[in-house]
Amino acid sequence: MFDYTFQWRQAIRALPQMLDGALVTMQIAVLSMAIGVTIAVFLAVARNSSSRWLRAPATAWVEVARNTPALFQIYMAHFGLGSFGIYLSPYIALLAGIAFNNAGYLCETFRGALRAIPATQIRAGRSLGMGPAKAFRLIVMPQMFRISFLPTMNQAVWAILMTSLGVTVGMNSDLTGVTQDLNARTFRTFEFFAMAAVIYYLIAKAVMLGARLIAWRMFRY
Amino acid sequence: MKFWNIAGGLIAATLIAGPALADKLDDIIASGKLRCAVVLDFPPMGSRDADNNPIGFDVDYCNDLAAALGVDAEIVETPFPDRIPALVSGRADVGVASTSDTLERARTVGFTIPYFAFTFNVLTKEGVGLETYESLADRTVGSVAGTYEAIRLEEDIDKWDKGGSFRSYQSQADVFLALSQGQIDATVVTSTVASSIAQSGKYEGLVMTGEAPYAVDYVGLIGLRQEYGLLNYLNLFVNQQVRTGRYQELYEKWIGGEAPKLTVDKVYY
Repeated sequence: MFDYTFQWRQAIRALPQMLDGALVTMQIAVLSMAIGVTIAVFLAVARNSSSRWLRAPATAWVEVARNTPALFQIYMAHFGLGSFGIYLSPYIALLAGIAFNNAGYLCETFRGALRAIPATQIRAGRSLGMGPAKAFRLIVMPQMFRISFLPTMNQAVWAILMTSLGVTVGMNSDLTGVTQDLNARTFRTFEFFAMAAVIYYLIAKAVMLGARLIAWRMFRY
Repeated sequence: MKFWNIAGGLIAATLIAGPALADKLDDIIASGKLRCAVVLDFPPMGSRDADNNPIGFDVDYCNDLAAALGVDAEIVETPFPDRIPALVSGRADVGVASTSDTLERARTVGFTIPYFAFTFNVLTKEGVGLETYESLADRTVGSVAGTYEAIRLEEDIDKWDKGGSFRSYQSQADVFLALSQGQIDATVVTSTVASSIAQSGKYEGLVMTGEAPYAVDYVGLIGLRQEYGLLNYLNLFVNQQVRTGRYQELYEKWIGGEAPKLTVDKVYY
């Protein structure tokens, strides 16, 4: 039984407010991906290294990030650290939580990609006089990003959708926060959430398109 | 034989066609069950006892309503933001959930006459040094998203414009957690919640200070806007609760003292 008359005009009027929220959502998603990718490269290298002191912390990070809910990670960044007297604002807590999660997943994605690159390439680079770091940066890393491009994009979309968890730690400026606020104020739940869903869809599409453009420029031979 | 077939068919047809005309009130009476949406992290209106059973003013109010209708009560726990979705999706028949009767919401949902009224107090931590409502101007404060007091507080923080900031959380429990950890310096809650939380000792060091200068927050029961049969019944029920002294009785049981007046001077409802 569904006894409801939709009132779209009210929702359309709130569109500018929701689009402001969408900008914040995109900002968090992009920042969290940038931080996540950076950390993940180091984690992937650490997990592949022969030193146990490098492997152990990286493994611990990946285990926690991949095997606990993102909601838990964000909640911990806000309320968990809060109980130790470290106060992250909702924005920072949300960003930290998602970046942590991204790094964990992307580490495994990158590690898989690294496995696919023949070790002989490093040796070839070294024999040309490159140092290990330079060989990794110039020879392995570009290939790693290319091989793992599609799974990385998966994570980017996931990062966008995870920003919606910010409401649980008091975030009220992102798309879900704004939507929830409008909902509580007017009780027009279905209209606002339907619009939010469409906006999330479009953001995800926009990010994918942007990433594709970057990839098209970066991964040309 | 043929006669009985036709007669049976006619009887079946009336039985099937009958309920199609029934309104929500009929549905409730016919099903023998009244499902109330109640917020259970909002003591003393709604909470859970040591055995996890729902208790509180709103829970008792729902039980009274069910008794008046001659049906069994069923409490559907709904956090504040989920009250309307619960009604519209048919998970609950009526909201006994301390819902402020704003005009903006009344465009969407049907309100009864007020069944309760709230005033507001500042709830803060010992030693933070916030005595009055105005001293919140440059602090970080928070409240439950979309509640009457959250809307007023956010408006005032914006209006004062002295560097204070506002955070909205999804449940009352999260607000108290944030407050007790020091993530926020203060919140504004109904005086009933403030006194019950400050006395419970569940969160250490929370104290109730100055009164917040908001208009009295009248709350109504809610139902679907078009269900006049039900809304009329609920209005009469609220009136009877006051008339029979049950309202005062429940107020003494859960809050204590003289129950607030539910009428506004110089105007009919």
